[in-house]
Amino acid sequence: MNKKILLFVLLSNLCVFTQSKEPEKILNKVKTEFNKIEDYKVDVKIKVDVDFLKMPDREAKIYYKKPDKVHIESEGFAMLPREGLNFSPLGLLNSSYTSFYVREDTLNGIVTSVIKIIPLEGGSDVILSTLWVDTNRNLIIKVESSRKPQGTFTMDLDYLKTKIGFWLPSSMVFTFSIDRSILPRKFNFDTDSDQKKVLQDSTKSTTGKVFIDYSNYEVNSGLFDDIFEEKKSK
Amino acid sequence: MILTLVKIELLKIFRKWRTYIGFIAIGILVPLLHLAMYLEGQHSLEFITRGLRDSFVLVGNLLNGYWISYIILNALTVHIPFLVALVAGDLLAGEATAGTYRVLITRPVSRMQVVTSKFIAGIIYTGTLILWLAIMSLAIGLAVFGTGELIVMSPDAIIIFEKSDILWRFILAYGFATLSMSVVCSLAILFSSLVENAIGPIVATMAIIIIFIILSAFDVEILREIRPYLFTNYILQWRELFYDPLNLEKIIKATLILAGHILLFFTATSIIFKKKDILS
Repeated sequence: MNKKILLFVLLSNLCVFTQSKEPEKILNKVKTEFNKIEDYKVDVKIKVDVDFLKMPDREAKIYYKKPDKVHIESEGFAMLPREGLNFSPLGLLNSSYTSFYVREDTLNGIVTSVIKIIPLEGGSDVILSTLWVDTNRNLIIKVESSRKPQGTFTMDLDYLKTKIGFWLPSSMVFTFSIDRSILPRKFNFDTDSDQKKVLQDSTKSTTGKVFIDYSNYEVNSGLFDDIFEEKKSK
Repeated sequence: MILTLVKIELLKIFRKWRTYIGFIAIGILVPLLHLAMYLEGQHSLEFITRGLRDSFVLVGNLLNGYWISYIILNALTVHIPFLVALVAGDLLAGEATAGTYRVLITRPVSRMQVVTSKFIAGIIYTGTLILWLAIMSLAIGLAVFGTGELIVMSPDAIIIFEKSDILWRFILAYGFATLSMSVVCSLAILFSSLVENAIGPIVATMAIIIIFIILSAFDVEILREIRPYLFTNYILQWRELFYDPLNLEKIIKATLILAGHILLFFTATSIIFKKKDILS
């Protein structure tokens, strides 16, 4: 009986402790901080490391405008993971969700609050996201998301302070898993048996990494909508 | 002497109407493929990459001259043998049909020189045909669609080649295509030395190629074992030039096997022609 009481007291304390930090407040601060950014333009260097794709490193320019407009310009052809490329906390936090505080964690010497988010909208691909939030700077420095049907992806972010005082990513490592069945079976209309290995492996999933380095931010320069319209018309 | 003979043989080849059938066919077909790709290429690309687009953002110009030339080379190397056999099958048998064999043999040249000059002329015709294909697909493709990266699907990965890393691959691929089509040319000349009518060598060459391709396509244990001995198995190995890293051993092996076939067919033709009783 004593043991049961002890367990009850411990669990009650744990519940009180885990809810002692309010996740909503933490996330709202992150949103508010990012909401100060109306738009930005940034140069990126992209390196893709995945076994089924051999692509030279790429330089590109990313244009972002609130809330979710993104345009990428690259001189060469590039194939880049959708989620990792245009990361914005608003994408995660602007739809309805429920959140709860998990624990405190230290990443690369930075004390973070770990918060779990469950999207409430049925259309979302993401089932569950875990965020590591630097509560001093109000920045998300790590994201781990489970998606259906693609599996889990992780983003590790480092930040730099721009000339006009905004914190924006300086580098990101995007780790993802992908089902090989999405690979096209005939890319060049060729018909021989060379592609059998790909077909045989098509049911296996594989993991990959994308490394993105950001530089030369131009924040709140008043980007016109035409840039993003042009992308749609292509 | 041999140079003069080759010039005469080339003159004979390019005076015949049938020689231009291949050039006309490529001259019509390739622009039609360009037009089709111009009108529908983007849709085709979107259809092919629809699975990828769910998870990836594809940026840049994929529909470019290099990609279209790669597709055309893929599609046509299977059908060009017929255009080669059409001319090569006529090189010796055509003399018999025209009744010029005796005249040819009574000239102060050896039979070996006659065969050699016909082989060289046939291979020059084959090279010219492939060069025409290169001009029509690559030069016009680049002029119409512009340059860009080339995306290729190798057996184990999707490879994106940088612009600066593509042209040399195409030059070698067209060179390899010339070599593999020269095997077809040699085979047609070999058959041509056996008969006195050009239709037989053309049909026989195509029949051999079709049979070998079918045997290569059937994925059965017993046929898998004989596959390395079929020269058609090496015709499409120019594709290795578009893989990364290059499998040099495989490319060199294929080159040597194809060159060996040319030598074998040339030797056999020479022996047959030397012993041939010319009655017409």
